[in-house]
Amino acid sequence: METESSLPPTRPPALDGQQLLVDRARRGDPAAQRALYDAHVERVYRLTYRLSGREEMARELTQDTFVRAFAGLDAYRGDSAFATWLHSIAVSVSLNELKRRKRQQTREAPLDEALLMARSTPIGDPVLRDRLAAAVDALPEGCRAVFMMHDAEGFTHEEIGMALGISAGTSKAQLSRARAKLRVALAGFEQEWRS
Amino acid sequence: MTQTPDWLDRSYDFGDDGIEATLVPDPAFDAWLEAAAPSIHAPQRAPKEAMWSAIEAAQRTARDANAGRIGGVRPLRRPWLMPVTIAATLLLGVALDRMILSRTATPSPHSTAVVATHPPVTDSAARADLYRLAAVQTLGQAEALLTAYRAGGATRPRDASTRQLGSWAREVLGSTRLLIDSPAGADPQLRPLLNDIELVLVQIVRLSGSPLDSTDRALIDGALRDRDLLPRLRTVVPAGTADASIASDD
Repeated sequence: METESSLPPTRPPALDGQQLLVDRARRGDPAAQRALYDAHVERVYRLTYRLSGREEMARELTQDTFVRAFAGLDAYRGDSAFATWLHSIAVSVSLNELKRRKRQQTREAPLDEALLMARSTPIGDPVLRDRLAAAVDALPEGCRAVFMMHDAEGFTHEEIGMALGISAGTSKAQLSRARAKLRVALAGFEQEWRS
Repeated sequence: MTQTPDWLDRSYDFGDDGIEATLVPDPAFDAWLEAAAPSIHAPQRAPKEAMWSAIEAAQRTARDANAGRIGGVRPLRRPWLMPVTIAATLLLGVALDRMILSRTATPSPHSTAVVATHPPVTDSAARADLYRLAAVQTLGQAEALLTAYRAGGATRPRDASTRQLGSWAREVLGSTRLLIDSPAGADPQLRPLLNDIELVLVQIVRLSGSPLDSTDRALIDGALRDRDLLPRLRTVVPAGTADASIASDD
C-alpha cells in the first residue's frame, strides 16, 4: 500500500477569502463546502490516521469531522483559523471514538497495516518497532495526541494548544511527559539510541 | 483558545506523573524518537472522493432527518413502495425458479436440446440478476439509513426525527427479512451481513419509540462497530446505489 510517510506533512493552502468560503458553506453552498474540504482533508485525514492507526477508522473519523464541522459552522466565528477549528473537531472526534472503543476492546492492527508499518519504519528491530507503537498507544489520550501531533505531524505547540483546548506551555509539558513515558517503556532498548 | 461548538467534548485524559517525572531529559533519546515518530501509524493516501461521497450522503440524510422528513428519502413518502418493489423482484425470481422446475419435470422433445444449452444459463442469469438487484436495493437503503443514523449523532436527537428514523428502519427491516428468506439469503457471503443488518435495525426500531439517550445510542453504536457494518456495506454496495434507489422512486 502506498504511504506518504516520507513526505513532509501537508498543510492546507492559504485561501484568499477563506472567511467568505466559510460564510458560503454556512449557507449550504456545496461548492464552498467542497472547496473547504479540498483545502483541509489531507491534513485532517493524516491527523485522524495518526491518532487511530487504522485506515478504515481514519476514513470514518475524517468523514465525521467534516459532517460535524459543516453542521456546526454557526459556532465558527472566525476568531481562529478555520484549520485550527477543524483540527479541534478532528481531535475531539478521534479521541472520543478511541475512548469508546478502548472500553470495549483492545485494538488490533490489521495485518496489512502491520506490514505497512514494518516497511515504512526506520527502526530495524521488529520487537522495538512493536514496542514503540504499543507504548505510544498506551499513552494517556491527551498526551498521545500532543506527541503524535508534534513529533509525527509537525504541529506547533500553539496549534496543538488550540486544538486540544490547552495552553502552548501545557502542550510543551505534555510532550516532555510523553517522551519520558516512552523512554521508560523502552528502557530495555537503550543501546538503539546510544548507537 | 479557539471557539468550539458546544457539543465538542474536549475533556481529555492527560494521565498523572509517574516515575518519568523524575527523569532528566535525554537529548539522544529525544532525537531518536523524533526520527522514529513519523513512521508510527504512517498515513496512507487519503481516499478523498470516497470520503466526500459519504459526507454528501450523510449531509443529505441528516438534512432530511432534521427537517422531519427522512421520508425525503423516498421510502417514507411512499412507505409501501420499497418493500413492494423488492418483494416484486423476489417474487419474479421465485416465479423463474418454478418455471425452470416445471420445464425440468416435463421436458418436451422439442425443448430438450434448447433447455440443455441456452435457456438454463439465461434463466439462471436472470434470476441471479433479480436477486442481486433486490439485494443491492436493500443494502443501499440500509447503508443510507445507517449513515443517517450516524449523522444524527452530530445534532441533538429530536423526537420527530427519531421516530422518522424508526419508521424508515422498519421498512428496511421488512425488506431485509424478505431477502433473508429468499434464495439470496442462502448466499454464504450475504447471509451474515443480512443477519447483522437485521439485528441492528431491530435495535433501532425498538429504541426509536422515544428519543435515543446515550445508553440507547451506545447499544446501537456498539453493534454497528463490533460488526463493522458500514465498512462491510460499503464493500458490497456500489457507490451511489442508495441515491439511485432513492431517485428511482420518483
